[in-house]
Amino acid sequence: MIRPRVLPRARKVQKVPFVELYAGRLQGVVSSGSDQDRVYVSYFEAGSGNFYCSTNNNRPCGGLRGSPCKHLVELLNEGVLQYGAARVIAYLGLQAEPDKVKSGGELLRHIKGGPHKVEAGMVFSRFLTYLQYVSVAPTGVPLPDMAWFVR
Amino acid sequence: MPLHPLHGPPGLLDLKSVPEPVTHTAGLLAQLDEVFESGFGRLSSANLQTLASLASSFAGTPLAEPLQAAIAGLGRSEFVDRHFAVIAAARAAAHGAMHDALVAQACAALSRPRPELEVFAAAPAQEAPPRAAVLLESVRQWLMELAIAGFANLEVGALLPFQATLDAIMAEPALVRHAALLSGFLDELLTVFPAHGKPEVPRLRWVDLWARSMVLSLAPPAPVATREVKGELRVFATDLRQHDHVVCLVAFGALHEPGKPPRVVRTSVSAFKVDVLQGEDLAGLLNEVGGKLLEAIAGGQGLKIAGMLLHATGDLVWQESRAEVLPAKLKLAEEAAAVLTTPTALRPSARPEDRHPAVIEELVWLPAEAYAATGKEPREVSLGGSPFPLASERVPVSDDLPLAELAGSKGLVALLRFDGGRWSLQPVMIDKGKPRMVGTSLQSARAKARGGNLATLKERAGKLLRKKS
Ligand SMILES: [Zn+2]
Repeated sequence: MIRPRVLPRARKVQKVPFVELYAGRLQGVVSSGSDQDRVYVSYFEAGSGNFYCSTNNNRPCGGLRGSPCKHLVELLNEGVLQYGAARVIAYLGLQAEPDKVKSGGELLRHIKGGPHKVEAGMVFSRFLTYLQYVSVAPTGVPLPDMAWFVR
Repeated sequence: MPLHPLHGPPGLLDLKSVPEPVTHTAGLLAQLDEVFESGFGRLSSANLQTLASLASSFAGTPLAEPLQAAIAGLGRSEFVDRHFAVIAAARAAAHGAMHDALVAQACAALSRPRPELEVFAAAPAQEAPPRAAVLLESVRQWLMELAIAGFANLEVGALLPFQATLDAIMAEPALVRHAALLSGFLDELLTVFPAHGKPEVPRLRWVDLWARSMVLSLAPPAPVATREVKGELRVFATDLRQHDHVVCLVAFGALHEPGKPPRVVRTSVSAFKVDVLQGEDLAGLLNEVGGKLLEAIAGGQGLKIAGMLLHATGDLVWQESRAEVLPAKLKLAEEAAAVLTTPTALRPSARPEDRHPAVIEELVWLPAEAYAATGKEPREVSLGGSPFPLASERVPVSDDLPLAELAGSKGLVALLRFDGGRWSLQPVMIDKGKPRMVGTSLQSARAKARGGNLATLKERAGKLLRKKS
């Protein structure tokens, strides 16, 4: 088995198909627990600590009542699995000690912001871009520039 | 198979020093790269001096005049992409010259001829898709903006709009090389930006990626001359390259064509991916394009090929439908020793426009008596008592090729590499009685990859991307 150097632990994409640190946000897409076809779009903003959660049709999440809903907690958990606590903490600018963090949920008490709406479409289109990568045909042509990319 | 004498490359220790012109050029380029860090938008007098000495180092070459004009233009704050194209071409030419000097040094040390491009009939005329030219113009524009701002001063707002161009490039099969390079480059930039405080800029690396992208985007890709080959391919070494969005398995092997002496070729299978696809999912990704190659690598078997295309660089374009896995298990160490001990000039190399010290990968075979290594994570091998660096940072973390296996091994295939101003050896096959190389586990991982992350994401993509279009 070939192991990644960066991914601290294997992450399963079933519940949270997409998470990324991008443009100053930890953002992603979280599957609904009840409805197979529904997804929630969630984010935390670096610095301000603001967050939001809505369906991809921009309907606010019912669980969001001034504090992060369960989707946002799942997003934090998966973000820490994907990038490691140190990178998430540094990216969001949180006052937490990476070595002591066992799961992303523990970072919740360091989130100082409040709910702040952004268009779900912005994050959702990132998800579509993400999915585009797994839809491009693989190739047998030489890619000499990949000599720069090793991990 | 004839038994070849198993004496190791005697001259590797000659590579403890580096030719003076190479060091000199590296120094000059390091100064140029400082300009890329601070930005062409605010040229200091020191920057202008650097550019002037770059120009004078090209005196008497075809680049001298365009370079003079470009530097004069940039000095007057004329920000047009052709000026930056000339700077990129000059930087690439300097790296090409370093590459050639280093390959000459390596080949002299190893007492082998320099690699040559195979001579083919002219390439078939073929128009690049019209969209390619427009997309490459956008790439050059973006690269110019990066250079004007300087890598230390990038704003995330200058990076994000490029994603739309990249999405379109990904959808254009003629630009697959661009897609692989630019998606890796953009990823790296977005890992650092937005930066809190002073960003850490891997200057040489980023300017390399910048210049590479610029040179590759000067014109739509020209058709490549190839010839059809048939015969048997015996893969004896592999390497894995990847960033968050591409995984690429490179295989080196002996090609036995009827009526010709065996020669070394290189082939590769690559797939686009996302960061979360790792480990077993790599097998699922590569299976579609190279399942038979994975099978042959896992089993140490040969591949019968017919009608596959070979580039002048010794790169075989992998096509599943033209390959058949042969049942017999091969003695891969003997195979490697036979073609690598005194290789011919026809072996994997780079096109002139692609030459750069980072793409040097001269294959060497070291028999057991030629080297010794100890420890769990060896950083060097001993060659007759003298230490020689291992490029261990290039070896993927895997059970397939743990470097601890070097101790007590019976032979070794390595890529001779040049990085960080010195030569090093990257093991790509360790003979432990059975060959150890990266990718041997991918065949058995294919089954486990089913129903994993790849399947889930493919299913989502199938639903959502269809809905979108
Ligand atoms: Zn929610």
